Parts: sequence; C-alpha cells; structure tokens
Amino acid sequence: MDSSIDPAEILAVRGLSAGYAGRAVVSGIDLSLDRGDILGLLGANGSGKSTLLRAITGQIRPLGGTVAIDGADLVRAPERAKSGFGLAVDPFDLPAALSGRQYLQLVASIRGCAEDDWPGVDVTDRLGLNRWIERPIAEYSLGTRAKIAIAAALLGTPPLLILDESLNGLDPLAAFEVKRIILALASNGRHAVIISTHVVEAVPGLCNRAILLADGRMARAWHARQLAEAGQMPGAFEAEVMQALAVQAADG
Amino acid sequence: MRHDRLVLTLIWRELSAGLRSMRRRDLVWIVAGGGALLAYAIADIVVALHAVSATLRQAQALWAVGLPGVLLCLGGFAGSAIARLCLSRAFAPFLKALPLSLMERRRMAAVAACALGVPLAFIAAAAVGLGCFVIAKPLAPAWGLGAVMLFGAGFGAAAVLRLRSARDLVLSDSADPVSDPGGRKPWLGAFDRSTPAWLSSWAWDLPAGRVRLSWRLAGAAILFGLAAVVAGSISLARHDAVPAAMAGLTGGLLVFMLSARFHPLGSPVLRTAPLGFVRAWLRLARLPLQLSLAFFLLPAGAALAAEPSAWAMPLASGFWLLALNGAYAVFAAYFMTAPFVAALTFLSAIAYASYETLEYGRTVLIGFAALVLFLWHQAQRRYRHG
Repeated sequence: MDSSIDPAEILAVRGLSAGYAGRAVVSGIDLSLDRGDILGLLGANGSGKSTLLRAITGQIRPLGGTVAIDGADLVRAPERAKSGFGLAVDPFDLPAALSGRQYLQLVASIRGCAEDDWPGVDVTDRLGLNRWIERPIAEYSLGTRAKIAIAAALLGTPPLLILDESLNGLDPLAAFEVKRIILALASNGRHAVIISTHVVEAVPGLCNRAILLADGRMARAWHARQLAEAGQMPGAFEAEVMQALAVQAADG
Repeated sequence: MRHDRLVLTLIWRELSAGLRSMRRRDLVWIVAGGGALLAYAIADIVVALHAVSATLRQAQALWAVGLPGVLLCLGGFAGSAIARLCLSRAFAPFLKALPLSLMERRRMAAVAACALGVPLAFIAAAAVGLGCFVIAKPLAPAWGLGAVMLFGAGFGAAAVLRLRSARDLVLSDSADPVSDPGGRKPWLGAFDRSTPAWLSSWAWDLPAGRVRLSWRLAGAAILFGLAAVVAGSISLARHDAVPAAMAGLTGGLLVFMLSARFHPLGSPVLRTAPLGFVRAWLRLARLPLQLSLAFFLLPAGAALAAEPSAWAMPLASGFWLLALNGAYAVFAAYFMTAPFVAALTFLSAIAYASYETLEYGRTVLIGFAALVLFLWHQAQRRYRHG
C-alpha cells in the first residue's frame, strides 16, 4: 500500500468522470470517505447517482480520474479494490434461480468467509428472511430481494458498504434493522457506508455526511455539523435540498 | 387491430437503442470490418462456384433433394427462432399487465415474425438466384423463386407450430408460486459447491439447484448414450478406432456446447465481487467440461479396445476435444446471453476455417486462434469495465 495514503481513508475518488458509450454522465467528482463515515448520496432521477456508484464499484470504466478503495486502485488492482466493499446488488440483478441461502453461499465463497459471517448479528434473522431463505429468489417480492441483497453485501463485514436505493423497498421493521446495523458498523470506526436514497428526511438521522448530485456534478455537500444542525429542526434539511434542486433546475 | 405491430415496434426500438448505445468507433469497425469480410467471402464463394460450376450443374441429387432440404431446414430454424423471439416480447414483463388475450399476443408475435421473415426469405432467394447465375444454371430466377417458396414454407411451418404451442405465460407465471414447499436438497450439491458455489446452478437456471426432469433432457441423454454405444460397437466390430474416436470428439463437443452457459459473467454479482474473469470463466466451464469428458470416455475406451495399436487416435481426439471446448467457451463467454448465436458463430467459424484450410493450408488455423484471442480479450474487457 502507498505510504502517502491516509489509513483512515476508505474511499478516495479524484476527478472522476464516468458514463456510457464515451459520453460522460458524471464528471469532476472528488470524494473522500473515512472510516466511520455514513454518506447520503442524494439527487433527482438521472442526476448520476447510480452511474457514480457503478464507477466506484467497477461496473463501468472511468472516462477520467481515479478510484481507490482501502488504498487499492480500482483499475490497477480490481480484485483487491473489490474485496474492500460490499454492494447490495439491484434486486433485479440477483440470480433468480438460486435460493437465498445459495446466493449467500455464492457470495461467501467468493469473499472467503462463512455464509453467516455478519457483523455481530444474524442478518437473516433480523431482517425476517428465515422463512424465505430456502426458496428461489425468483419467488421473492421486491423488498425480500432487497433484504437478501443487503445481507449478502454485509457478508465478511467489508470496510465499505454501498447501498444503491436498497432501503427504498424495505418494510419499516427491516428498514429500522438495517439502519441499526449501519449505525453500529460506522460507530466502531472501522467501516464506512454510502447510501444512495430518495428518502431525504432519513438522511440527517442516519448519515454524518451528504452530497447532492445534479446534472452529473456535485451540487452541494453537507458535513456532520451541518447535518446535525439541519436535523434539529424538522423539515429543515429537506427544505435545503429542495432549494438546492430548485436552484439547479433554474440554472440548468 | 391497433396492437398488431406492437412486438415489431418493440424489437425495432431494441435494435435501434442497441445501435445508439454503441460507440461510433466500434460501429465503424463492425461495418467496415464486417463489410470487408463479407465482400471477401462472397468473392471467394463466387470463385469456388466458378471452379466447380460444371459439376454442380449436373449434380441431380443436389438440385432435387440437397438444396430444397437445406432451404426447408434453414427456414424451419429461422422460423422457430424468430417466433420464439417475438413471443418473448409479446409476453414482456411490462406487457403482462395489459388486457391482451393470448390470441392477441400470438397475433402480435405473428405479425412481427412475418415482417422479420420477409427480408430473410429475400436473402435466401438472392443467394440461390445469384449462385445459379454464377454457375450458369438455366432458369436462375425460377430457382430464386423456388428458394423463397421453400424457405418460406419451412419458416412458416416452424413459426406457426411455435406460435400455436405458446402457453399463456401471463397465467402460467403467476400460478401458485409457493406450491413447492422448498427445503429439498439440490441435486448438484456435490458438483457445484466449489468456489464460487452454485455458479453452474445459476448458469443453468436450476430453481434452487434442483434439476427438473423433462422429456427433452431424457431424450437428449438417450440420444447421446445411443450414439456412443453405436459408434463404440461399430469400432469394436470393425477393429477400427476411427468411428468411436470421431463420435467421442463430435459428441463431446456437442455436449459441451449444449451445456455451457456463461450469462453470469454479465451480472453485477460477479463483476463487483473480488473475482477475476479467468477464475469465473474456468468455473463456469468446469461442469460442462466434466459432462463432455464423461461422454467422451465411453467411445474413446471403445476405440482403444477396438484397435490398441492406434492408441494415439483417441488421445488426439481428447486433445482436440479440449481445444475445441476451450475455443467454444470463449465464444460463449463473448456471446454470453445468446448461446444460440455463440454456437452458430462458432460452427460457422470452424466451417469457414476448415474450408480455407483446404486452400491455404493450416496457416488459416492461426487466423482462427487470433479470432479466439480477440473474443477472449473483448469478453475480459467487458467483464472488467462493462
């Protein structure tokens, strides 16, 4: 590992541009995430949230810039970089033929851990997956698929957890349990989490940082203190986000 | 009906969206490179037809049985494949909720199949008509017209059969999804546990890893078993290793081609995991390779028993089987979501390489190897970078 790398820094994104068919969807993204951070990724539909996460997780090649996860460059050492994060895969990308248990065994075998190697809790139990675990994923509802995707992302307790709108389809109890797990992970100071979401009001209570993407660029960023202040007054953070979106729409 | 062209519109939109999503540089390569290759192939075929024109003109069996049979079969294959494609779009998930009856969906699929079949029939007619013209066969336009009729007959019969046998996928998909209580042990447990676990069950779409017994599977097993026994018996009876060794090679390759599936290589589940392309590819090829070798062993053993002094023949067949299986695994990884296209392209490449080998010697094999390496590189790049 490079000696200049901050050991607390789990994700380093520098000047990232990414997109499809040579056309940039996100550009000029600089982002640094330390252990203990929970980042809320906000933005309207088509603002580039999923494209940014695809570039960070190595699903599309950056058009420019670099991504390093836990000190490993994603392009030069993809396998080492990918061992540094757990991604809750989109529910429709899950292997529908496999049962939930087989999917967990698949991911665990790749990560070299046990199929129940979760951070201190039995995630299947906490998320109410036990009655579904032996059934093919094809029979799962959207929310149950999201639960198994989150359970698999947590396997082996990777340093960085990435949830791309995975909380959206969860029932209230499961969403509450996932938030508890996320907060526990971040509080031990060894992990960081990125949550892409449209549930703006949930961000101040869960995240200690937030960024707003608009037209593929970082339009606004909030740090822990700003989020804490905004969280004290009901609706204040949502109002700030809506105002930023309105300004962007007017400029655009 | 106003819905009739819906499937055709969907397919057209998919095609145009696919073309728009490609980079211009890639499109230029495909159009220029493919065009040049096609022009070369046509010129080569014209020269070859000229060289044997007299023989071809007098080959009665070719004109009476061979060509009509080929056109009927080609039409049948094309009709079946296109009807299947159109039916899949008629039952696309976002169309399932619409109040369209099975009859209306069949009609939409039929309209699209007809529209796609017309240019194919025209291509078949043009190829046959031009071929006849090149070899100076009398009544070339009539042969072209006959080709349209034969291709159309095969296409229509296969498409109608496929469309008529279509079940109502809206009803069958929603029928009692929890009828199976689950919890039974997967059949492939012993073979599919190595890292990454259950990858072959996923590739073969086995629900929870359980093999579904079907007439098609049983028929294929009986057919392959019978072919191995017959080829082995012929070799033993004649004390000749060739029939069994050849059956082992072709049967083993067919078993591999029918069982190899590589679509998980396109999934974010593998692509975002700390798993390299080579490891994932090898793991996906492992069970099909084991099946292929399991088939190969019986005829190869019979070949050895029939002619022990010719031990090199089954051994060479085994090496060729490994090499061809490896080459097909590269094609299948490149065309990961379209195994039929992978098989067709692989067989065409093999046939073309064999044909050119007759003219230019074995140096053509270098071209085939270069193609395999190129596809390998592209498949690896797509796995890594999308």
